[in-house]
Amino acid sequence: MLLQQLSGNLTQGLILGAIYGMATMGLNLIFGVMKIVNVGHGAFIMLGTFVSFAIFTYLGLTPIVAIPLAFIVGFALGSLFFYFIIGKLTNAPELNSLLATFAIGMLIEEVTKFIFGSEWRGFTWDVGRVTLPFTVLPITKIYAFIISILVVIALYLWLRMTRSGTALRAVVEDKEGARVCGINVDRMYALSFSIGIGLTVMSGVILTFFISVGLNPYMGGAYTLRAFVIAVLGGLGSPLGAFFGGVIFGLVENGSYTLLSLIPGIEPFSLTRFVTFFILLIILLVRPTGLLGVK
Amino acid sequence: MKGRWLFCMALILLFLSAGSFGAGDALAQAPDKIIIGGPISFSGKLAKEGEQGLRGTQAAVKWINEVYGGVKIGGKKVPIEYKYYDDESKRELTTSYIERAITVDKVHAVMSPYSSPLVLAGAPVAEKYGVVYINHGGASDRIHEQGFKYAVQCYVPGSRYHVGALDMFKKLDPKLKRLAFVYEDDEFARSVARGAKAHAEKLGYTIVFDRFYPKGATDLTPILSDLSATKPDIILGGGHFSDTQLLGKQIADLGIDVKAINLVVGPALPAYGETLGKLAEGIMGPAHWERGAKFSPDVAKKTGMKWIGPTQEEYRKLFKDVSKGVEPDYHGASAASGVFALVLSIEDANSIQSDKVRYALGKLKFMSVYGIWDVDDDTGLQIGHSSIDLQWQGGKKVIVWPEEAATAKPCYPRPTIKDIIAGKTCK
Repeated sequence: MLLQQLSGNLTQGLILGAIYGMATMGLNLIFGVMKIVNVGHGAFIMLGTFVSFAIFTYLGLTPIVAIPLAFIVGFALGSLFFYFIIGKLTNAPELNSLLATFAIGMLIEEVTKFIFGSEWRGFTWDVGRVTLPFTVLPITKIYAFIISILVVIALYLWLRMTRSGTALRAVVEDKEGARVCGINVDRMYALSFSIGIGLTVMSGVILTFFISVGLNPYMGGAYTLRAFVIAVLGGLGSPLGAFFGGVIFGLVENGSYTLLSLIPGIEPFSLTRFVTFFILLIILLVRPTGLLGVK
Repeated sequence: MKGRWLFCMALILLFLSAGSFGAGDALAQAPDKIIIGGPISFSGKLAKEGEQGLRGTQAAVKWINEVYGGVKIGGKKVPIEYKYYDDESKRELTTSYIERAITVDKVHAVMSPYSSPLVLAGAPVAEKYGVVYINHGGASDRIHEQGFKYAVQCYVPGSRYHVGALDMFKKLDPKLKRLAFVYEDDEFARSVARGAKAHAEKLGYTIVFDRFYPKGATDLTPILSDLSATKPDIILGGGHFSDTQLLGKQIADLGIDVKAINLVVGPALPAYGETLGKLAEGIMGPAHWERGAKFSPDVAKKTGMKWIGPTQEEYRKLFKDVSKGVEPDYHGASAASGVFALVLSIEDANSIQSDKVRYALGKLKFMSVYGIWDVDDDTGLQIGHSSIDLQWQGGKKVIVWPEEAATAKPCYPRPTIKDIIAGKTCK
């Protein structure tokens, strides 16, 4: 029974972790290239959940349609915010960009509230479920897992195989060197910020494949905190590290519940977060730059 | 001569002190208006419930001023003015706005925010200034176990939320034994769990699962997988709207079939069925009030109780007017009952002095659109109001308990998840 529960929770944790990881890649991409911490990250995830909600509820379409749409919306917003705000702060003190992203996050929340109201929203997209010997998986969760993996592969291929991806990596490694080689660094900043926001908004859509209720303009805070932990765990600035950090986070968060429930007299769910942070500390002690972080 | 002067001076001093301390002379202290106010959430995670409380208060104030003609005090009728602030669902703003309402706006009574933690946070501030605190948004018993003198409650205390449901299940299926408790880890839900546990043990149920999930949890899969392994007959739990939404969704995701589910807060709100769709089918929940409730001036007359306020339909119209079309739920009705209680107690006391109003609130018993209102003289805990149990049947909410208030029979056992997804309803 215990093994069955542990397997079930680890399976659910693996899927959720892949989504968390995917949702953190944008944050890490932006930090890796521009050294800007996007504290408004959660608000963009929330925006993605509302894109999914709107597509399903108002247009009656499958939320899969919302995936490319959310990326386009995120990319456009990223470009807009970069050219009008963030781009002007690349050489300003770090606190300025921190406050700017905080303000942008609040703006996104308030605009969403203005459009959709402050009510808790949600929808039920049911396309069946798969019964495994140790757990039940709605097919939407399997979609979420597969799409998350595909997005990671696509980002990896883009960074490794394309000219713009290579140029972006060059900026990460040595900004001045890249400039000397003729790479337009400001353009790379704009590209990384836009793609980072695009990925983040898109991850909101994928999140609704796992959890499609509890949508609210202010729901992003919980995901911002998780994303920061995952980003540090995976290695700040490494998009792929973020994905693996997310998977570990999901596995520990869900898997530790079963083990903690064996201890009498405690509330296991409340302690899962403690266990996750404890493991983060151990990983950081062993690898101070995170799993795939560069010294 | 000297003695006469001293006597005159003493008389003047006595007169001045009576006036300055407002020792109960209604004429001396009858204000031009009664000011009530305080914080309420219309942003943040409690915005939905907070907005209902705000609109309920506004609807009641509108009725008092426009239909009732104002509050009768010192031989004249004075209007009520309501001042409110958005606490953004934050504890720290709650306390500062209550302080502001008392010291800057000079409110005669504080209307509480929504949710037990915020109400509990605000109570000491009202207490510090000795101002009546109308708790229309906090159900936790603990609020009224702290010895606060000026706080009075409108909701059914949390410890009684699941009492009706347990009685209902006992009557529907006396052989039922296995109960699972899965509540949010917060002040209110813990008091619901405590009361439910005590009542379940009294009725002879076996509690096979008893766990809490952290506030703000976004995935309940681990705790629900654990719950599922204990094979319960009934699930009782919840906390606030978003987590009960999540419970309903993930119970279905994991294919957990039980004979009944009864969750606090969420299922009582229309948005629950809108977001969960057919997955809400058969889910029950307690509520303090529901549209279609049978409280009316006639019922009040029959039971020998004083009636105040609009009828059910009039209240709905007033609420929709002030909220621009939003349908009322129990959060608003509770707030409205708080306003009515305050008006009657000011009139009974013929004073706005907090001690006298609080004393009158303790002695007050009346009926309004919300139902019966009666608080314990000392603790301010609500003892007169009873909750009802609702159930989602065929996409609509119906009252299933108590039997005398029921608009439909309970759908028991709940159809299986497979049947619900295939389109089977309780109807």
